[in-house]
Amino acid sequence: MKNIKIAILSALVLIGSSCSDRLELLPEQSLAGSQAFSSAANAEATLRGVYSQSQLLEVFGSGPQIIFDYQADNTDFVGSFPTLQDINGYVTTSPNATIQVYWQVHYRVINAANSVLDNVPTIKDPALTADISKRMIAEAKFLRAITHFNLLHMFGQPFQIQNGNTPGVPLLLKSFTGTIEFPVRATVAECYAQIVKDLNEALPDLPAVSTPASRGRATRGAAAGFLSRVHLYKGEFQLAADFANQIVTAPTAYSLAANYSFYGATPTAEHVFVIVNSATDNGRTGSGGWASYHRPAANGGRGDCAMSPSLETSFLTQPTDRRLVDLTAFGTAADTQRKRMSLKFPDAANNTDLAPLMRTSEIYLNRAEALAELNGINPESLTLVNGIRARAGLPAWTATTFATKAAFITAILEERRKELCFEGHRRMDLLRKGLPLRTTGPTAPLAIYGGPKTVLPLPQREIDLNKGLVQNPSY
Amino acid sequence: MTKRLLLSIVSLCVFAFQIMAQDRTITGKVTSSEDGSGLPGVSITVKGTSQGTTTATDGSYKIGVGSNATLVFSFVGFTNREAKVGSQSVINLELQSNSEALSEVVVIGYGQQSKKLSTQTISTLGQKAIANRPVLSPQDLLQGQAAGVQMVGSSGLLGANPVIRIRGAASITGGGQPLFVVDGVPLNDGTLSGGQGAPVGLNPLLNINPQDIESMSILKDAAAVSIYGSRGANGVILINTKKGTVDKKTEINFDTYTGFSDPTSLIPMMNTTQFVGYVGEYRAARGLAPVTLSNDYFDWPTNVVRQGRTNNVSLSARGGSQNTTFFIGGTYATESGFTIGNDLNRLSGRLNLEHKATKFLTIGTNLSISNVTMERIGAENSTFAPLTSAYLQLPNVLPRNAAGNFVNTGFIQNVIGIEELNTNRFVAKRTTGNVYADFKILKDLVFRTDFGMDYNSGDGKQRQVDLFTPTGSASRDFQYDSKWLSTNTLKYNKDFGKSTIGVLAGYSYETALFDRILVAGTGFASDGLPNVVSAATPTSTVEERSEWGLESQFGRFNYGFDNKYLFEASIRRDGSSRFGADNRYALFYAVSGGWVLSEEKFMKNQSFINFLKLTASYGTAGNDRIGNFSSLDLYGGGVLSDYGGAPGLRPTQVPNRSLTWEETAQLDLGLSSTFFKNKINLSVNYFDKITSGILLNVPFPFTTGFASASRNVGKMQNRGVEFDFNANIFDKGDFRWSLGFNATYLKNKVLELPEASIDPDGNRFVPGSAAQRAVVGRSLNEFFLVEAIGVNPTSGDLEWRTKEGNATTTYSANNRVFTGSAIPEWTGGINTNMSYKGIDFSAQFSYSYGNKVLIDGLRFTDNMSATAGFNKSTDLLNYWKNPGDVAFAPKLSSTTAPLFNQPSTLQLQDGSFMRLRNLSVGYTVPAALMGKQKIVRSLRIYAMGQNLLLLKAKNFRGPDPEVSADGPNNQVLGESFFALPQAKTITFGLNLGF
Repeated sequence: MKNIKIAILSALVLIGSSCSDRLELLPEQSLAGSQAFSSAANAEATLRGVYSQSQLLEVFGSGPQIIFDYQADNTDFVGSFPTLQDINGYVTTSPNATIQVYWQVHYRVINAANSVLDNVPTIKDPALTADISKRMIAEAKFLRAITHFNLLHMFGQPFQIQNGNTPGVPLLLKSFTGTIEFPVRATVAECYAQIVKDLNEALPDLPAVSTPASRGRATRGAAAGFLSRVHLYKGEFQLAADFANQIVTAPTAYSLAANYSFYGATPTAEHVFVIVNSATDNGRTGSGGWASYHRPAANGGRGDCAMSPSLETSFLTQPTDRRLVDLTAFGTAADTQRKRMSLKFPDAANNTDLAPLMRTSEIYLNRAEALAELNGINPESLTLVNGIRARAGLPAWTATTFATKAAFITAILEERRKELCFEGHRRMDLLRKGLPLRTTGPTAPLAIYGGPKTVLPLPQREIDLNKGLVQNPSY
Repeated sequence: MTKRLLLSIVSLCVFAFQIMAQDRTITGKVTSSEDGSGLPGVSITVKGTSQGTTTATDGSYKIGVGSNATLVFSFVGFTNREAKVGSQSVINLELQSNSEALSEVVVIGYGQQSKKLSTQTISTLGQKAIANRPVLSPQDLLQGQAAGVQMVGSSGLLGANPVIRIRGAASITGGGQPLFVVDGVPLNDGTLSGGQGAPVGLNPLLNINPQDIESMSILKDAAAVSIYGSRGANGVILINTKKGTVDKKTEINFDTYTGFSDPTSLIPMMNTTQFVGYVGEYRAARGLAPVTLSNDYFDWPTNVVRQGRTNNVSLSARGGSQNTTFFIGGTYATESGFTIGNDLNRLSGRLNLEHKATKFLTIGTNLSISNVTMERIGAENSTFAPLTSAYLQLPNVLPRNAAGNFVNTGFIQNVIGIEELNTNRFVAKRTTGNVYADFKILKDLVFRTDFGMDYNSGDGKQRQVDLFTPTGSASRDFQYDSKWLSTNTLKYNKDFGKSTIGVLAGYSYETALFDRILVAGTGFASDGLPNVVSAATPTSTVEERSEWGLESQFGRFNYGFDNKYLFEASIRRDGSSRFGADNRYALFYAVSGGWVLSEEKFMKNQSFINFLKLTASYGTAGNDRIGNFSSLDLYGGGVLSDYGGAPGLRPTQVPNRSLTWEETAQLDLGLSSTFFKNKINLSVNYFDKITSGILLNVPFPFTTGFASASRNVGKMQNRGVEFDFNANIFDKGDFRWSLGFNATYLKNKVLELPEASIDPDGNRFVPGSAAQRAVVGRSLNEFFLVEAIGVNPTSGDLEWRTKEGNATTTYSANNRVFTGSAIPEWTGGINTNMSYKGIDFSAQFSYSYGNKVLIDGLRFTDNMSATAGFNKSTDLLNYWKNPGDVAFAPKLSSTTAPLFNQPSTLQLQDGSFMRLRNLSVGYTVPAALMGKQKIVRSLRIYAMGQNLLLLKAKNFRGPDPEVSADGPNNQVLGESFFALPQAKTITFGLNLGF
């Protein structure tokens, strides 16, 4: 009897002393920061993580891009989402939750790019050669540049207003390690300068395009293409023309496709830079995606973005335009009305369509426009645009089609509108030319060039948290 | 063999002798010691046999016995008494009400105590408060029943996760749920289901069968909760299940009820004529080109509700001998909600068994198993939620085409088709229980070892057909929380003269593993293929595991002198894997004292006050709900990090090595009393709780790349007073009437939020939702909105108020002001019970006063824009037309019309309400009418109504003021998108005893 009691007591004491090592538990789903940059392989994974985050709806997954089209005159937003409706109606307010999350995810991408930039040079792994290290740094700089660029267009006025001496966005150039900083808004000019700097530094260290998949990563062509766009937006036409020429003169890598079947999930020579999406990347987010917004409910989309009457009128001046015939169709839009909608994004089930961030035809149009600005009506511009018109089944322009340089440039812009509609270019193409975003309808007075409501308000949450941030006027 | 046979024969003979020995008949009357009235229904058994009877309505009885017999008299609410028959033929005796008995015990952490000598503040709900309630989960039993407990049913959705706050929320970002402990096993409370539109998933305690519950103890003050250390700050709810009875005839109970439910109310929406008319007028007024709209009409809201049904059958047996006691029960319940597609059934069983093996060893088990199968629906802010989409769906959109087939209605889903064709199932299984052994080492020293487990799994299955998701999609999501724990305690209790000493020392180790597997895919050849294996494109494959451990030492010391002066101290040391190695262990303690004044001489010569006790306690408890690995900086993989078919990593968490517990220190001053011939009970408690080191999700500027991170920086106070009043107003003869009332006044104040954001007025705050924030100097759930004044009768414009107080027609978030708190000032309940002969009647109300609620869905239904792709509230038809109109909505051409639905006080409502939670009428067939038959022991039939009556603010817009879609999330209270209104239920039931 006594023995039993002693046994019990000693058992109690034993149990009492043997469990503390069981409190040392580690997560299984994540790596600690020190491990993430412990090897070349892990660092490559963190670099892919930057691309992965940029795939999201909020960055290059169609969210900002549909706004760039419907804030202007290419599409009508007829969906039910109030925050997007507000933007469409030019009645956005600073608590707009959609704008907030777009801002948030852009900086998440920028921070992820910055952690690659800050940590890759510290990795001690023989597998990480100098070349690989330089290439990874270049890719991260490229991603940081195009993400800042996308963000700038939502919140900043075009460079043409006061030569960029207006508030842009905060430029984040270092990764977050725990100390909160409160960056102020750089001017638009400073933002452009940083974007150009990042792209120029990246370009020489990036690889040339090789496989179709490589078009979904930063390449020399992609950097040149973005530099061409940035300089065009800034009005630096010689640089815009020169960078475009790096692509125009590389026809084996970059060429106009024969028809429009390149829209879909696989990169082709038509694509200078795309974000590739698999079914697991952007599918079934429930809140949108390229095809989700542009395809009607009958095809599994939301039917939120219908072609605007303004764009339809423009197309109907030449109703045989293959971009109208092959790439649009009538469907029941979200407002239950039959509307003409884009076919550029076929997969509304899984949203695997490429985000067509930069196509060869845009680069041709960049160079054509830049050369026209520099030299007036000129043969190379005509040739470049005629290639695009031929594909659309339209007659070629000749040197006598246009009476003036201005008319020629206006025509190039209208051609650009039809070629790149629904891909998120329209807003900046109008603003950089000093044009209003909309010319008809009740919102036209608000959509004027330089109008305070043409740029979105900084999220109220950010204004609340960072006293250094200045809100855009009239919000 | 022969020996055993012989033994059987002998025992048989003994048994036969006993029966034959009923040579005498005893008669008598059982009366109440309080007033001498006869007690009906008192159970009288012959000790050691299964023989027995019950008293008639006047308390008289008649029973045949042998002369050696002892009679045991027992009656609920009274102390058992025994009487030796001897030579008597008439035995009259009085039973003493429990309220007079010092022996009434309350269940406390790791033990039990005499209620009258306890210095802890505990509310106990017994059978009277919880029996026969047609509820799905144990939390539902708490509403309005205990002072200091605020319980808000989130919605009429089956299995919705309710809000429970005990003496206010003790944390901001940490979980707000109290710790639930079933028969000594702390439950897993992780949610194993997604919200499907609701901010939180299903109630994690859905598998705990309310029918198994004998009583619930709600531990409130530090003296009561500090023994639960790092998990006690939110309060602790001890659920005690039904146990066997010592030496009593086996009672078999069959209980069943069936009920019908309907929504309490729906929001009126436009029909097609109204909608088309409105859109035409709006477009004309604003110079927009007219559009042609279909004139079809379908009344969506009334077509997605139905009459709900509920059925419950429960069969149990309880009894026992001197050495072995048992309770065995099983319940089968089915419930169809009043919303299409929302069904649930639950099958559960329980075995509670205890056996005295030897004089010094007792072994036992409490074990329950259950299975809940649910047909789920989307909820709140989801277009898959039937009622949400029914409100938002354009009235001219039809669910079927001309051929009668379902159509896809786009973003606002065809919820009727979806509920018909899609699958959305959830199966929850739970096994909870323990096995224990008590060793009596010395006469006063007992060692108990207890091994407990709680396995809780959720298995979700969804399948969308091709029509609603092109090519179809499917997912399967299996998750479980598996916990085991070992608890070892030593208890020593001894009386030395007038002194009583109690000591408890214990050690426990607890660990839980969370595991999840999710697969999903799209691309099905046919809707006839239900499973993910048939998907052409796998879209999701997830395997997740996470483990935590908690090691604890704890102790308690009680000292009592002369049943007058009481002292108690408790302590607990917890070590948790959730914290970094430097901060892993923490100590919690409490001290308390009590003075039973009514035992003093100077109180003895008065008879008005029967019992009076003053108590005071002070101590600490913690909150460890911070997630398992919050202190590390993390990079995550998976589908959000991969690119181009290759895996990736992305930063997911900021490091914080100094993360530690939240600590709540609480002072409690209490008075409990019984007076006026024990007819009235009153207890009053004052509490002051200060939580410090609050884990705040300090919001970061998004420019950091992160939204927020946890920091131990906040400080918050909850102060209040609780009143609990019960009166036996009338208790003579056949008529009894009692009345109970409880009320809690709560004042919540955020004291410090260093590092939190500062608003333009200089207030530190932590945002909870877009409309709600915790603000220093104000409450945890303070609404911050632009104040809408209303439509100016002269101009027809909607006017808001600027921060300076002027009217403006320009909406700006800069004009947001504090517009009230979601925390009620007063909550509580009222209950009354009446009985006359066999008829009983009871009513129970719960109320809430002084809180605001936000119905966010109004921003959608109040959208004045003609192009909005959803239906509108009929309230919008009351728009301004002529000068002088006092209209709800502005004139259609007003610049304020498109901004009418911007977040403002237009969506904020007075959330005060009083609700008739339960109303029941029952009839118990008197023993006399049961006649001589021996089969049926008792029979009661009843009818019960739930939520029959609701008093709410006159101008309340929205279905129900009782909402809180965010469940246990402390930061968001009193908000809903479109919560399903509470169900109005009528049930009919039968309790049959054998």
